[in-house]
Amino acid sequence: MKLTKNLAAPLCALGALALTAPASATEGERIQITGEIIDTWCYFSGVMGGPDAVVGSAHHTCALWCSAGGIPVGLLGEDGEVYMVLKIEGDDQNASGDTNLNLASHEITADGMLYKRDGLNYLVVEKVVTDHGITNLNHEDYGVVPGFAIPEPKK
Amino acid sequence: MIKPVLALLALCSPALADQSPLPFDLGGAFELVDQTGTARTQADPQGHPQLLFFGYANCREICSAALPMMAQVADAVAEQGITVTPVMITVDPARDTVDTLGPALAQHHADFVGLTGTAMQLQVAYDAYQIETEEVFTDPEYGPVYAHGSFLYLLDAQGKLLTLVPPVITPEAAAGIVAKYTQGQS
Repeated sequence: MKLTKNLAAPLCALGALALTAPASATEGERIQITGEIIDTWCYFSGVMGGPDAVVGSAHHTCALWCSAGGIPVGLLGEDGEVYMVLKIEGDDQNASGDTNLNLASHEITADGMLYKRDGLNYLVVEKVVTDHGITNLNHEDYGVVPGFAIPEPKK
Repeated sequence: MIKPVLALLALCSPALADQSPLPFDLGGAFELVDQTGTARTQADPQGHPQLLFFGYANCREICSAALPMMAQVADAVAEQGITVTPVMITVDPARDTVDTLGPALAQHHADFVGLTGTAMQLQVAYDAYQIETEEVFTDPEYGPVYAHGSFLYLLDAQGKLLTLVPPVITPEAAAGIVAKYTQGQS
């Protein structure tokens, strides 16, 4: 299920499934998934730009600021779903750790455990199988998003 | 308009029993002091569910989004007859004192509870929720900036963890999650 800015529809869709399908397993599910490590606040709030602009190289600097400030990172999967990262290999917290900062805006292939809870996807990344680096070079289209992410030096 | 949306969310959300358990053991006892100087534990003295966040009043980063969101969630579920107490445990006790916490948090919500304590007391609470804090840089205008865990934790009145709430979803969606767990508890 895709986590969107408005969760009413997807929550309802899941609710409808719950009404018609037998109870599914409640334990976590091991998955291997490829996607970009994103800044979830800017992605969902929309305050810094549209979803295509607040990812990739255009948003890399802001993503670093946000992660350093404690905003949890997510993995935007190739399936279009966002997986909230609870923990990631090498870091004992969900934001601001060195691994999170090093992987900001990077496309990775991750192996870990998926937990579905309250209509949201939570991911514990046990291993970063491949770090593909920053592959979305959208700064060529958008420049730096937002522009003030790189402060002007004070004279 | 928010009330029908919340009702819809509560109706449509998956059953509590049909979802993954949290992949780690969070929560536990702590003893801190609130903005009135009164001792307070993980339990809400008024018997209400609690929405807990670790942050600091002077934070210009995630707290500036999370604290107003917590207030909005409290107001939204109140329309359904659910009283949820927003609680912040400081990660910056040097600046968040008994004297300063109250006015800062009252800007967000009249019922906001701010908790601080000695370094040892606070560490007990951090350990319970696996909160790591680190001063990452100093903002020349606003002072030290701390990195810290930023999920919201929904607790029952006794202080037992019910679920996580990411601080990045909409207040309406967060209120739907809170309502699902706390219906009939306050």
